[in-house]
Amino acid sequence: MPTYSRKSLAPVDPRRLRLNDPDGSSGTLLGMRCLNCEVCVFGEAIFCQACSSDNLESVDLSSCGILYSYTIVRVPPEGWPGPVPYVLGEVELPEGPHVLAEVIDIEHSDLRVGLEVRLALEPVQAGDSGPTLMVYKWAPSDVTQALPQEGSP
Amino acid sequence: MTQFRPNREVVVVGVGLHPFGRFRGKDLATLAREAVVEALKDCGVRWRDIPVAYFGHVYYQGMSVGETALASLGLTGIPIVNVENACSSGSTAFWQAYWGITSGVFDLALAFGAEKVPGGPVTVTAADSPDRFIGGDHMMAGYALRMRRYMEENGATPSALAQVSVKARQNASLNPYAHRKETFTVEDVLSSRPIADPLTLYQCCPTSEGSAAAVLCARDALRSYGLDESRAIRVIAASLTSGNYNGRGSDHSAFSPYRTEPAALAAYEMSGVGPEDVDLVQVHDAATIGELQQIESLQLTPKGEAWRATVEGRTALTGDIPVNTDGGLLAMGHPFGATGIRMVHETVTQLRGEAGARQVNNPRVGVAQCSGAGDVTTVQIFAR
Repeated sequence: MPTYSRKSLAPVDPRRLRLNDPDGSSGTLLGMRCLNCEVCVFGEAIFCQACSSDNLESVDLSSCGILYSYTIVRVPPEGWPGPVPYVLGEVELPEGPHVLAEVIDIEHSDLRVGLEVRLALEPVQAGDSGPTLMVYKWAPSDVTQALPQEGSP
Repeated sequence: MTQFRPNREVVVVGVGLHPFGRFRGKDLATLAREAVVEALKDCGVRWRDIPVAYFGHVYYQGMSVGETALASLGLTGIPIVNVENACSSGSTAFWQAYWGITSGVFDLALAFGAEKVPGGPVTVTAADSPDRFIGGDHMMAGYALRMRRYMEENGATPSALAQVSVKARQNASLNPYAHRKETFTVEDVLSSRPIADPLTLYQCCPTSEGSAAAVLCARDALRSYGLDESRAIRVIAASLTSGNYNGRGSDHSAFSPYRTEPAALAAYEMSGVGPEDVDLVQVHDAATIGELQQIESLQLTPKGEAWRATVEGRTALTGDIPVNTDGGLLAMGHPFGATGIRMVHETVTQLRGEAGARQVNNPRVGVAQCSGAGDVTTVQIFAR
């Protein structure tokens, strides 16, 4: 793996990911929760997707979730900056939202629906000359790490 | 959702199709015009009588392609609207033509669509979107996620999914307009190149070029244009929806496998027919899993059971719910802007009893359904 300077790295999308340390070694997925109907969404929202209320609050989302589905992408889309094949996972968070991202650090034979995963951050450079951004990914979690966060169902 | 009430009865009087495939050396406007000429010839409507046209296409290949395509037919000064609504662009153009007539504004309307889709995996977002970094912007990967979950929840087998493609090729082998006409077996499908597991190449629609066109008319105006009522097919519903909240807190279309349900319900209500009345159906089978979940969204089988219906042959030409009788996206190919109107072409051809070797037995009601990025979904119902 190439080495990157982690100084002043930006999150891949500041509406979805906040970096908690100057070097980007930890971060938090961001969401919005509706104070009217309780529905929670990943990323930004101005009105609630479910009830259209504008009475929303920003929330930090759990960094652990369950693999709802996955695929091993053998033919990547144009501009994909990572290795091929790569694993794409749809992960269900305890708060409700599903978050799509690459699943790393796992053998293909260990993939299964229901697997507990945790947030992992990696720097990714787009192309040869593009910016390097911190990208949120999923990695297998051990059982203790994957337990629901306090206050979630 | 507010649903406008149709006023005037609308019929399709003419349909035209350019073969789907690869046509290097033929530009988008030329491709589009050829289907329009076929549709005008099919019904005998004179170009100068067409008061409005809607053109579906997605990929940018110059401005005002609809106007360019029609210019060589004569500059009649009519409103021409270029429509981009992802994979439902053509069917959205048809929807606009339908509402233009039923609302009483126009007697006639032309809906047409064309596309020259680039090769390789289809992406939805702009090249600098974060989703390109994250890896989620990959149309077939989205279908693969749905497929894995569907198999897990419903016990659907890989060979059941593959049978969707086998059936598509069988139908396309009877259709001279199809991009892929060679038949193959379940084993061929499963052993073809993996694209995004569990989807293999032969379970993904080809990216294609092609065009399709339809001429619509108010039923009460048929006589004044000297049109043949016996070949006119009634449009008894046309619905268009975008995404509803799906309980998953994101707008990625991988998360909405049953996004067609609201459009299906609206169309059934508008038409007064129900799933039990449907004699044939064209659905958006960009991947094998798509066909199954669209069949279920249209309530033609219970949820989770369309794979069984497929294995039992119920969706074949000779089954009780023939699906994608011309080969569908999987074998006809998928030129985005043309696909929705290609479905209209096939439905009208079948309801007229003019489908030749792939004719289903005496159909009276046909459904066409498209869906695309943005959860854009159309459902149209036709009857003779």
